[in-house]
Amino acid sequence: MNVITYTGVSKKFKSWPRGKSIQALDDFSLSIEQGEVFGFLGPNGAGKSTAIKILINLIYPDKGSATLLGEDVKNRRIRRSIGYLPENPFFYDHLSAEELLWFGGKTSGLKSQDIRTRSAELLRRVDLTNVSKRPLRTYSKGMVQRAGLALALIHDPEVVILDEPMSGLDPIGRKMVGDIITELKQRGKTVFFSSHILTDIERFCDRAGFLISGRLRVVDRISSLLAGGSTLEDIFLSEVKKAGGGSEL
Amino acid sequence: MTVYWPLALLTFKEGIRNRALYGISLIAFLFLGANVLISGSAMREIGKVAVDMALSTISFTGLLLVLFIGINLMAKDLDKRTIYMVLSRPISRPQYIVGKFFGMALLIVVTIAVLSVFGMLSIIIEKWAYPDYFPRFFWGPIFLAVLFAALSLILLSAVSFFFASFSSSSFLTLILTIMAYIIGQSLSDVKALVEAPQTAGITVSPVTHIIVQAAYYLFPNLSLFDLKIQAAHGLAVSPSYVGWTALYGLAYTCLMLFFAALIFRKKEFP
Repeated sequence: MNVITYTGVSKKFKSWPRGKSIQALDDFSLSIEQGEVFGFLGPNGAGKSTAIKILINLIYPDKGSATLLGEDVKNRRIRRSIGYLPENPFFYDHLSAEELLWFGGKTSGLKSQDIRTRSAELLRRVDLTNVSKRPLRTYSKGMVQRAGLALALIHDPEVVILDEPMSGLDPIGRKMVGDIITELKQRGKTVFFSSHILTDIERFCDRAGFLISGRLRVVDRISSLLAGGSTLEDIFLSEVKKAGGGSEL
Repeated sequence: MTVYWPLALLTFKEGIRNRALYGISLIAFLFLGANVLISGSAMREIGKVAVDMALSTISFTGLLLVLFIGINLMAKDLDKRTIYMVLSRPISRPQYIVGKFFGMALLIVVTIAVLSVFGMLSIIIEKWAYPDYFPRFFWGPIFLAVLFAALSLILLSAVSFFFASFSSSSFLTLILTIMAYIIGQSLSDVKALVEAPQTAGITVSPVTHIIVQAAYYLFPNLSLFDLKIQAAHGLAVSPSYVGWTALYGLAYTCLMLFFAALIFRKKEFP
């Protein structure tokens, strides 16, 4: 069963009043199956975050459509089944991690007792138990990232969408996120994450897609991509070059 | 309520813990303290001055709250992209507007309630010190004036939400809200002047007449909610005035939120 589908999605951003138009996504189609860990690769400005924000309904496509678990992404109720960690998350300054998770749990329809149990478990998992009552403004970048991850998982979603989940994390934090992704996969959850870190994609993903200048260039299983002896970096650089954006490479 | 209450509580907590609120409260307490000292020097008008000053302090503090905390509560969500966190939950854009507004309204009610306690205290002290100068004193009109001050601030907050739904910066929202406040406070007087210019010995062009009429129906008439004079003079306010004005405030607030939600539905967050 396809959990995430994009069908012919195009999105253009126009800068106001007479600026250049930027084609962020161009006829983008992709399907991700249940239980799959899918890695989304691409250079900066390739359109990865735009594609993810279309899934969360933060951005509307100009053309095409996107679905989650068979439902149009415009249906707000479908977001009960997804967890999302934005790139460089920013939360309310005066709230604590505990309050943040309460908000996430309540809006997802969890009961107070379940929120307390799940919140304690997740805060321990991301190593924030000792600081769970401290305002989020006192957190380091890595701690905010980990709080964001706990928020994305508070309601035990079917689909987890992570936009650059490793950014700002130290090696311990990166291992923690890696372990969580592996655990989610073992529990049959679908994980869709974008990253610049090719080794992370190689380690955790079943499949990967290369998005360059808004177009999906290559989508294949990691084992197939690496079968010819090439590394993900070789493939990435060659695809960027083919797309005409790698003259400097 | 699944999404409205958590969102309202989140907004309320974020507002009540804002350090700017402590600054605003400090100004209010200084004014109320000054009330005790200044009113005593108002000769025979001590009672009126004490009530008027306490109510003015409450209204002014509420205005600062709406302008400098309320507007920022929403603007920060957009500027710092905190809205990603909110809208990634099962919350629609119109629900976000309404939930956020409930939180702001709760913040206004709680702040005004706390300030009112201290405002009443300053009046009680004056009344105790100068009992002869409170000949026509009733608590009813004072409570009503506080209630209407809170209603007008809630209405102004809804107006600021409407401006924030389409404006690109918090500064623009602030300017537009201040403008709406000034127009809203003086609209009745200007309309009366335009309708009977001969009383002031001036002439008004038909274009000005149309503009003022249009503004009268477009902008909120905030002066309707100002019952300070009635409270200071111990004058009764008719139940029909109270009912219609409260209904007007509620209807205008709903209309502003409706338009804000309508605009916000189309908004994207790249």
